[in-house]
Amino acid sequence: MGKKKGRRASVDAGLTITSMMDMMTIILVFLLKSYQTDDVSVAASEDLQIPISSAEKAPKLAVNVIVSRKDVVVDGTFVLDIERGINEETGEEELSIPADEKRGQLISKLYDVLLEKAQTSKEIGAKAGSDELDFKGEILLQVDKRMPFSVVREVMFTSGQAQFSNFRFVVIKGGPG
Amino acid sequence: MPKGKRGEQAEELDLVPIMNLVTILIPFLLMASSFVSLAAIDSTLPAIGQPPETTTEDDEPPLNLSVAITDEGYTVMGNDDALSGEGEDKGAKIPCRKPGCPTPDSYDTKDLTRLLGEIKDRWSDSDEQNVILVPESQVPYEVLVLTMDATRNDPDTTEDGRPRELFPYVVIAGGIQ
Repeated sequence: MGKKKGRRASVDAGLTITSMMDMMTIILVFLLKSYQTDDVSVAASEDLQIPISSAEKAPKLAVNVIVSRKDVVVDGTFVLDIERGINEETGEEELSIPADEKRGQLISKLYDVLLEKAQTSKEIGAKAGSDELDFKGEILLQVDKRMPFSVVREVMFTSGQAQFSNFRFVVIKGGPG
Repeated sequence: MPKGKRGEQAEELDLVPIMNLVTILIPFLLMASSFVSLAAIDSTLPAIGQPPETTTEDDEPPLNLSVAITDEGYTVMGNDDALSGEGEDKGAKIPCRKPGCPTPDSYDTKDLTRLLGEIKDRWSDSDEQNVILVPESQVPYEVLVLTMDATRNDPDTTEDGRPRELFPYVVIAGGIQ
């Protein structure tokens, strides 16, 4: 009786890890497959929903401007807030750049930040002396899909004034095509 | 008895180090993996300056294809027979599937692709690849991306195993105020 009890106790002490190992191996293979180092990453949230498109071209690294329903962010640095109002005619929410941040179509704060980026980029390009690092005026735009074109136009106009005239609209791959 | 026990122990693999490794790898890969693949749509600002001089007098006028996006639908304009007309009737109109274009889905992108396919057929000799988008101020950004998809290629028609290319170079104009 005593002998039997002892043996059972020794069997219970060892964990059966084989099934767990199987699971972990499958997870590991799946994660390794989906592992990719993209130049560009999107932090999707309620205020930043990137539209889906049939475009295939991979995004390249450039100055990153995020226009969410809350604010405008350049390369991770907050620049200005987006104003939320209510359209009196339709009663729908209306997003716009605050009037005191603008000079005509130009968004002053965004212009200052982008101009500094352009100058830094030009200096690096001149010092490096290689074509790859030359300033090409490329800018990545991550815009919320519900943003009205008036805001997009003002951001594009400001970028153009700050010498960034090659736009890359970041979209999520998918859809027909 | 002791001999038998030693034999049993030798059969079991020590999986603990592998478990340690896998447990560290999984959180790392989970953090680094991206489940959404991104793409980019290139666009430039309209060029400012003198238009290039035509080399000979006999040259056909350029197509100058432009698509206006309003709350009633699309209006396609350009130097094509299908797009002729004067004043208010100028250009081909593609109304929304639902009146007032309440959602981005109600824009008839299929019909736009079909019309642009017909224009491309007539202009197949020239290397016209540009389209100018002229959206209204309140048009959501998502509609802009959907329209760019519709003008880029035709997923229903294939050429050499790829969707037929229509007008892949998009220029976004200032729009209708």
